[in-house]
Amino acid sequence: MTQRYIKIGATVLVLGLAFAGLFWSTLRDGTEYYKNLDEVMTNQSEWHGKQLQLHGYVVPDSIYRSRNNSLEYRFRVQNNPARATEPGSVINVSYTGIVPDTFKGEAEVVLKGELTSDGFKVSPNGVMAKCPSKYEAAAKSGA
Amino acid sequence: MASLGSFLLLATFVVCSYSAAVSVAGARRRSRALIESGVGAFYLTTALMTVASAVMINAFLTNDYSIKYVAHYSDSVQPLFYKLTSYWGGLDGSIMFWVFLLSIFGTLAVYVNRERHRELIPYVVATIAVVQMFFLYLMVVHKNPFTTFLTNVPADGNGLNPLLQNYWMAIHPPSLYTGFVGMTIPFAFCIAALITGHLDDSWLRAVRRWTMFAWLFLTFGLTLGMIWAYEVLGWGGYWGWDPVENAGLLPWFTATAFLHSVMVQERRSMLRVWNVILIITTFFLTIFGTFMTRSGVVQSVHAFGDDPMLARLFTVFMVAILTFSFGLVIYRLPLLKARNELDSWVSREAAFLVNNWVLLFAALFVLFGTMFPTLSEAIMGQRLTVAAPFFNKWLIPIGLILLFLTGVGPLLAWRKSTVRNILDQFLWPGAATATTLAATKALGIPVWASGLCFALCAFVTATIVQEFLRGGNVRRRNTGTDLFTAIIGLVGRNKRRYGGYIVHVGIVLIFLGFAGSGSKKEELFRLKLHDQATIGAFTLRNDGVKVSDDGQKQMATAYISVFQNGKPIESMYPGRSVFRKHENEEARTDVAIRRSLAQDLYLVLAPDVDFGTQTITLQAFVNPLVDWIWLGFGVLAFGTGIALLPERAYSFALAKLPAEAATTAIVLLIGLLSSGVSLKAQHQVDPTVAVTPSKNALEEQLRGEMGCVCGTCAHEALTKCTCGTAQQMRSQLRAQIDQGKGHDEIVQAFIGIYGGQQFLQAPIDKGFNRVAWLFPYLLGATGVFAIGFAAIKWSHHSAAPLPETSATLDDPALEERLNDELRDLD
Repeated sequence: MTQRYIKIGATVLVLGLAFAGLFWSTLRDGTEYYKNLDEVMTNQSEWHGKQLQLHGYVVPDSIYRSRNNSLEYRFRVQNNPARATEPGSVINVSYTGIVPDTFKGEAEVVLKGELTSDGFKVSPNGVMAKCPSKYEAAAKSGA
Repeated sequence: MASLGSFLLLATFVVCSYSAAVSVAGARRRSRALIESGVGAFYLTTALMTVASAVMINAFLTNDYSIKYVAHYSDSVQPLFYKLTSYWGGLDGSIMFWVFLLSIFGTLAVYVNRERHRELIPYVVATIAVVQMFFLYLMVVHKNPFTTFLTNVPADGNGLNPLLQNYWMAIHPPSLYTGFVGMTIPFAFCIAALITGHLDDSWLRAVRRWTMFAWLFLTFGLTLGMIWAYEVLGWGGYWGWDPVENAGLLPWFTATAFLHSVMVQERRSMLRVWNVILIITTFFLTIFGTFMTRSGVVQSVHAFGDDPMLARLFTVFMVAILTFSFGLVIYRLPLLKARNELDSWVSREAAFLVNNWVLLFAALFVLFGTMFPTLSEAIMGQRLTVAAPFFNKWLIPIGLILLFLTGVGPLLAWRKSTVRNILDQFLWPGAATATTLAATKALGIPVWASGLCFALCAFVTATIVQEFLRGGNVRRRNTGTDLFTAIIGLVGRNKRRYGGYIVHVGIVLIFLGFAGSGSKKEELFRLKLHDQATIGAFTLRNDGVKVSDDGQKQMATAYISVFQNGKPIESMYPGRSVFRKHENEEARTDVAIRRSLAQDLYLVLAPDVDFGTQTITLQAFVNPLVDWIWLGFGVLAFGTGIALLPERAYSFALAKLPAEAATTAIVLLIGLLSSGVSLKAQHQVDPTVAVTPSKNALEEQLRGEMGCVCGTCAHEALTKCTCGTAQQMRSQLRAQIDQGKGHDEIVQAFIGIYGGQQFLQAPIDKGFNRVAWLFPYLLGATGVFAIGFAAIKWSHHSAAPLPETSATLDDPALEERLNDELRDLD
């Protein structure tokens, strides 16, 4: 009987370790940090080259599209909502691709991408404009 | 009306608590009268919930905007159909709908099993009643759907979210809820068996079919969700590992595991603890899934909003479920000992066991991934998210292992397979796998993971075909009929086994669809007027953009000509619609899909349309084999249906009919189905189709009476519908008018063309509208009638002397002792 338990124990241990190892390795390149702009800007160098999901608000009237290829966007994002008295940190953002309908000045956005020395580079399909009125939240605004 | 609704919910809560308390008391005191009273009160909750639902639906139909819930999810221009489905459009209503469904299912389950499992019934009633109480409590103290505006009653409602105004989305939640709620029944029986200690396999028989039923609806709900995401959301895919999707998938994994391991318990009396744990886990996951998506614990694109109060209530309930259920399991462990041991790892039960582990691991993994942002924030103080690639990296191999086991399981013998056995069984499937793998490699499809998936699909298909042929051949020799009849008879003889194989065929088709996504193409084009672009085998040309308005929404539609090999094959119209009252939200993407079995061409119009120069950004996808997923679900549902069909119905049909007749009927049916299946029968708004003015009053009248038959557009009247099918119907109508025919003649002619009356729009004062208006009253009347019926039946019961129950059933202690002693004999 004890031999059997040793066998089972060893199998479980090996499998467990293997899974843990695989987990760890896949998690490392599968995860992204979800951060507010202020958190990143206070210690910029630490975040260079890491996959980030950056939360902030589009600075009003900062969206610029190049003429010849209107899929190229440049805009600025600030930490606090546009109506707040202090904008908080501000960063330049560049992006190529389609933006959602709700993407406009003052919109609350989450940007997937990387921090570089000349601003934040958004990866393809990496702009998510928060849609405050979907589903349950709609109830709040109506109430 | 609102106060009546609130009162009904409160009353249901009281009756429910009475039912739970009295059932437990009756079971403990062995009082027949108390138990019957509990069951009666339980039936009464169904009646009360029916009336409450009627009140709710009535409020939607009569546009009673004094009720907040109605004002949020409906408005006056909403089509009748969506007014009805708004019942479950939001959180409060969906909780109420949940209780309504649970009371119906519970009543059915109790009614069907009231004689067979008499000793379990009081605890089944008590368990379901407690679950109902929790949801009723939620409504009464926190989320009452009948809350009214105290002042400033709005003149009109907000309207259902445009994204949800979709045929699939209307039936997706009830289907998913049926699956979720259905899982409560097995749980209740399991708890009852644990409490009473009647842990022989008989309670399993009572719940097996329920689990299968709930599982079918869960699968259906998930599939509908995928179809909806694919057709409406416009990102070219169908599954994004969103927490809300995962919440539905979690119990699916454990329920699937249970459906397999229950066979091992029936056959070999093993895995008894395991089965109990699977049922409890499945139920727990349905509650947990609801909690996860509704309380704001996990942030998702669906953004359901924070609700700490709801989160607290759910947490208390979930902790209670876990402690109570697992406490019971530990308490009953001695009774749950397996009566057999695993003889060999090369056996069917071992394959099932591995399949179970993999499924459970998949569930735990998805749970972990979904909760990861919350976990990481709690543990490390940093919010880390995992995205779709992480899930895919893990679940692709898991899926492939499962697919492999799907093929292996049926090939292995129970107890132990011999080497000879294995060689004999694996020869052909193995050959099929190798051939397919070589073929995919030759075609240049990457081996990981698509190629392997194709090969495994071939493997599983080969095993199933082999099973059917071998079984059929044996039966053919024994009965002396032809092979086909023999196979049909075979399915009838062992519905669960062969029904299960058909389900596996469905799974294979679904996996084919998944494998196809490995060769998916995605491109982004900026197209000026008359510019062309190429994706895969298709060339797209921008023919301009138009803006139109239909009163409810404003639409921008792009005209795209599609060419293949230089020949025009299709005109497609991707667009965007902005809905009135939802102007500051994202516009709805109107995806254009050209379906075919080989590949879908999927076009999305990006928001940055330049109307001046007619320049558009077009997102184009080529999705190979996607439609096989939906077809696979159809096959899966068919297989489950066969397995679910009552034994009696099947044997009756076979006994009354000569076997050949059954064969012929099925061949005819298959022929009929395959001829009728048209993959392109999708409602596509064709903006080139303008509704031409009617020639005379008769034509106008007939257009109003007829509806579009394309099958996806909610049967719109010909005066309005702009899809190609409607246009064709209008020209047919014009032809008839030109021949100078009268009203009835034309209707007759159309019946001749369409072989039925389905083209007729239900006239305003009868048909669907009338039924719809009648519906709440009918529902209410049913409830009242049920209450009255219960009362009469009750009063009769108390008058008549109670029949004495037999000693074995009446004395659980005795039976338990008997069971124990019998068990020791083993």
